[in-house]
Amino acid sequence: MIIEILLVPVGLYLFCGFVFAIAFIVKGVSVIDEGAHGGSIGFRIIIIPGTMVFWPLLLKKWLRAKKQQHD
Amino acid sequence: MSASYQAVGWNKQKKKYDWIIFSFCVVYLIVFIGVTAYVNPDYTFETVLVRSTSTLALLLLHVILSIGPLARINKKFLPLLYNRRHLGVTMFTVALVHASFGIFQFHALGNVNPLVSLFMSNTNYGSLADFPFQALGFFALIIFFLMAITSHDFWLHNLGPKVWKTLHMMVYPAYFLIIMHVMLGVIQYETNPVFVLILGVGSSTLIVLHLIAGTREVKKDNEEFGLKQDGFVMVCGVNDIEDNRAKMFCIDKERIAVFKFERKLFAVNNVCKHQNGPLGEGKIVDGCLTCPWHGYQYLPQNGQSPPPFKEKVSTYDVKVQGQNVWVNPKPYPEGTERKGANF
Ligand code: HEM
Ligand code: FES
Repeated sequence: MIIEILLVPVGLYLFCGFVFAIAFIVKGVSVIDEGAHGGSIGFRIIIIPGTMVFWPLLLKKWLRAKKQQHD
Repeated sequence: MSASYQAVGWNKQKKKYDWIIFSFCVVYLIVFIGVTAYVNPDYTFETVLVRSTSTLALLLLHVILSIGPLARINKKFLPLLYNRRHLGVTMFTVALVHASFGIFQFHALGNVNPLVSLFMSNTNYGSLADFPFQALGFFALIIFFLMAITSHDFWLHNLGPKVWKTLHMMVYPAYFLIIMHVMLGVIQYETNPVFVLILGVGSSTLIVLHLIAGTREVKKDNEEFGLKQDGFVMVCGVNDIEDNRAKMFCIDKERIAVFKFERKLFAVNNVCKHQNGPLGEGKIVDGCLTCPWHGYQYLPQNGQSPPPFKEKVSTYDVKVQGQNVWVNPKPYPEGTERKGANF
């Protein structure tokens, strides 16, 4: 039962992560890490699973980097 | 290092390494399936797949966990360390096939969600003999999954070395989960003690290797240096260090690598910025001291990675008096130029 209750939020979390990952590999990744400039498409694809899991952390980094750009 | 990211940092050596891993896995699976088909022709194909991939993953896991201590005990093993993460990702993939077929075979054919069934079809969580061992395998697989998806250097950078290292040290709890997964599983369906015996040999080997490597390290860290003068400590003779090589000394808790290069001695912090690899066990390649683990490079005179890279390590003062090498363990800020010592 606990498992059943847990599966839904976990699925939702990963789904949000996937949506975030698309935006992130297109734009965010080069904002937070200069190593991504000129990085290959393969690199962007390979970080998708990790982005789906660690997306809140990357979102925070992305927002912070954007704020710094404006300051 | 921090130049543009690629999907996989392949070079000639790594390609060869990966071909060897790949061919080994294929040969292993073919032989396992062939032998089983001959000895136990009544096994279903799923069972054979579950067992061949599980034992292959377990074998790879033992190899992975042996590489660290082996490389510390004997430098000949360093090339294995160079590409360990590909071995790790391979192990995860093989274990994933095992788990998928396990779930398919035991949990996918009913009308309950297979993942729910994995945890709920057997609820004898209080019993040792009937323990739902598959749940343990599941948690280990989650750990291997997290390690595999964060194995790219991008994650080392963006999670930070501390979080990254902690995550990857979880391989030890995962190993423990796997041991329990196998032991508790095997007692449920296997009467042949050979399996338990092999596993016992495997884990004892790992423990012994880690103990040997660990005691060596502790000994090196606690080495006492008798002679001190003006902040400098006498560490060794000039001839104790080979050309283009280093020796590591731990002075006042600072790990310092002293390098000999073009008839001069330089000292830099021993800890590589990539994953804390031991720079003092590396050598000078193309004028840069090169980490033995994954090849990050630093200039001996200032501890900076050559452009376009940006890593920097601390540097130290060295001097030579007579035939002896003296080091001052007070670090300069990372990347500070030092002129080295002539001898
Ligand atoms: C969701 C995750 C997992 C599930 C559902 C699962 C399922 C199973 C099952 C059903 C068996 C018994 C096989 C049989 O009856 O022949 C088994 C055994 C075994 N599993 Fe797993 N497993 C999982 C994860 C793992 C992982 C990550 C490893 C890593 C190395 C692993 C290694 C083994 C080994 C070595 C055995 C004993 C040999 C064998 O009989 O196949 N398992 N597992
Ligand atoms: S630890 Fe990876 S290159 Fe030094």
